[in-house]
Amino acid sequence: MIQVLFSLFALLAVIGALAMVLNVRNTIAAALSLVVTMISLGGIFVLLEAHLVAVIQIMVYAGAIVVVFLFVVMLLNLRRDVFGPSGQRLTKALGAVAGVWLVYRLLVLLEGRLPATQPLPDGFGGYRDVGMALFTDFLLPFEVTSLLLLAAIVGAIVLAKRRLD
Amino acid sequence: MTGGPELELSALAPVAFTAIGAMLVLLGEVLLSRAKSFLGRPITDAYLTTLLGFFSIFWLILTAVTAGQGLVTGSSEVFNLGHPMMRVDTFANFAILMIAIGGILTCALSVTYLTVLHVSHGEYFALLLLATCGMILMVSSVDLMSLFLGLELMSIPIYALAGFARRDLRSNESALKYFITGSFASALLLYGMALVYGTTGHTSFEGIRGAFDVQGPVGLAGLALLLVGFAFKISAVPFHQWTPDVYEGAPTSVTGYMSVAVKATAFAALIRILLEAFPEVQGRIEPVLFALATLTVVVGNVMAVVQEDVKRLLAYSSVAHAGYLLIGLVAGTPEAIAGVLFYLLVYTFMNLGAFGVVASLAQQGRDCERIEDFAGLARQRPAVASLMTLFLVSLAGIPGTAGFVAKFLVFAPAVQEGEVLLAVIGVLASVVSVYYYLRIPVVMWMRDPAPESVRPEPSGSEWLVLTLCATAVLVLGIFPNLEVLEGQPLLDLARRSAALLFG
Repeated sequence: MIQVLFSLFALLAVIGALAMVLNVRNTIAAALSLVVTMISLGGIFVLLEAHLVAVIQIMVYAGAIVVVFLFVVMLLNLRRDVFGPSGQRLTKALGAVAGVWLVYRLLVLLEGRLPATQPLPDGFGGYRDVGMALFTDFLLPFEVTSLLLLAAIVGAIVLAKRRLD
Repeated sequence: MTGGPELELSALAPVAFTAIGAMLVLLGEVLLSRAKSFLGRPITDAYLTTLLGFFSIFWLILTAVTAGQGLVTGSSEVFNLGHPMMRVDTFANFAILMIAIGGILTCALSVTYLTVLHVSHGEYFALLLLATCGMILMVSSVDLMSLFLGLELMSIPIYALAGFARRDLRSNESALKYFITGSFASALLLYGMALVYGTTGHTSFEGIRGAFDVQGPVGLAGLALLLVGFAFKISAVPFHQWTPDVYEGAPTSVTGYMSVAVKATAFAALIRILLEAFPEVQGRIEPVLFALATLTVVVGNVMAVVQEDVKRLLAYSSVAHAGYLLIGLVAGTPEAIAGVLFYLLVYTFMNLGAFGVVASLAQQGRDCERIEDFAGLARQRPAVASLMTLFLVSLAGIPGTAGFVAKFLVFAPAVQEGEVLLAVIGVLASVVSVYYYLRIPVVMWMRDPAPESVRPEPSGSEWLVLTLCATAVLVLGIFPNLEVLEGQPLLDLARRSAALLFG
């Protein structure tokens, strides 16, 4: 059962990601494809019994972040014709060939060499474990994140505020 | 000891000084701008900027002194709450000292420059201190998690600082370009970290060292992505395209800070992660580093030759210097790494000196940017012209200056390691660099000044920065073994820092 669900979510995540990247015509549809990927990832976290992470994944990514994306898309009202015809076809073709070749080589190398999986420890991904990790082992990164937010806020105000007095 | 992990808060001192300083600067700006006068002088924008600038310098000096003391005593403090995140050891202290010196010089330079550009806002110093905080975190982190947060805490304020001249279109362009390409590089780095974590199950350098499979393709792909992220920050070719545009558009003081402190931080963090987390991979990534070093040295120097804008010229020169430093990384011996550290310190002084001269010549809200704008500077401001010549000669690596000693200390270990080809390329490229560096002195000394051109007199703090940089360039160039810190030459300290990583 878990295998089936995992395959389903994994497939959906990949399809959503591809739909987002390949959909250059309609930015709204691309952003909504991203939601599909994010929700599928949330499903995978549930399968890993990481319920808290799953909820955060859906609330923060599928909810907040994509909404911000949509706002920006609507504010800018971007269409394909805004960008004009794009040149550099040769570069793009070369990039595509190189990318496909790289993926192929990686897949060949990967065959049968993925590291072995291990069973999850007890209570993995629950609020208790995440909380413990956040406030003991990862206390410093947790605190530094607040400095990062401060820097981002000050930076955004400096760049965007109409009058700085 | 039973009863839980021990808290070594003293390891956090350098990070805390800069973070507290940044918050106090923000508070101070609000409080002071409400007051009518302070210390008997009415509050104006320029006066407020000066006050906050020197207040930031105070916190940076505290950081530098702490790092210097740690260097002298050779202390090693770990911030460890069940999981080591930071280790402030001799290596980290050396890097922190460089970063703090860069920060102090930049603050002193910015005080006047911001007023000339008409962007006297106290947030500048808060952002600068936050970026410094991120750099300190980055060079002392021994875990991927704190490394990445340090990188972001360094980058985000600098994106904003690059766009600090808000009415200048080129400054906006510079911030936007740096932000977009920088975020892309951060994402690649993070993906690399995720792959490394996925294959080893550890985020700590120590854990990765124990579990990394040198043959495993996924882990190696992760390492490659990590290298790309770092190559972007040190502006190594082919990840350098952002450098000239961003350096040209950003306010000159910010450009100077980016070119020395960001580079020093990225190199120090790269050296630490390569030696502490991936010591067994040296052989596999050497060809990659070799290619990066060759390309960077050649492209940086060749592109610098055709530049007409001083800031673009210095941008390509900074690419070229990243290449010389990469040569030291290819050699990879303790001696070469010590050379790289010493080089970064010397580079801090000579490059900030050169950018300092460019900043001090700015007037009426615009930079003195074209090479022709320097015509006849020697007639009008002979002292400034002499200092600029000294910095450029040192950047070119001519004997008698610190630039020569630094280059020698990087190239000599490379030759000893059998990387003769690389050293020859480096030396040949340096010969090319003499041409473009000396173009500016030729214009300054041989040409007549443009009619009715007026040169501003550098302010007191600008003189201080320029003299300090010039003294350091000369002293480190003529007596590299001078005992600076309580009877210990900087070179020895660099050697000890490097030796530490080889355990």
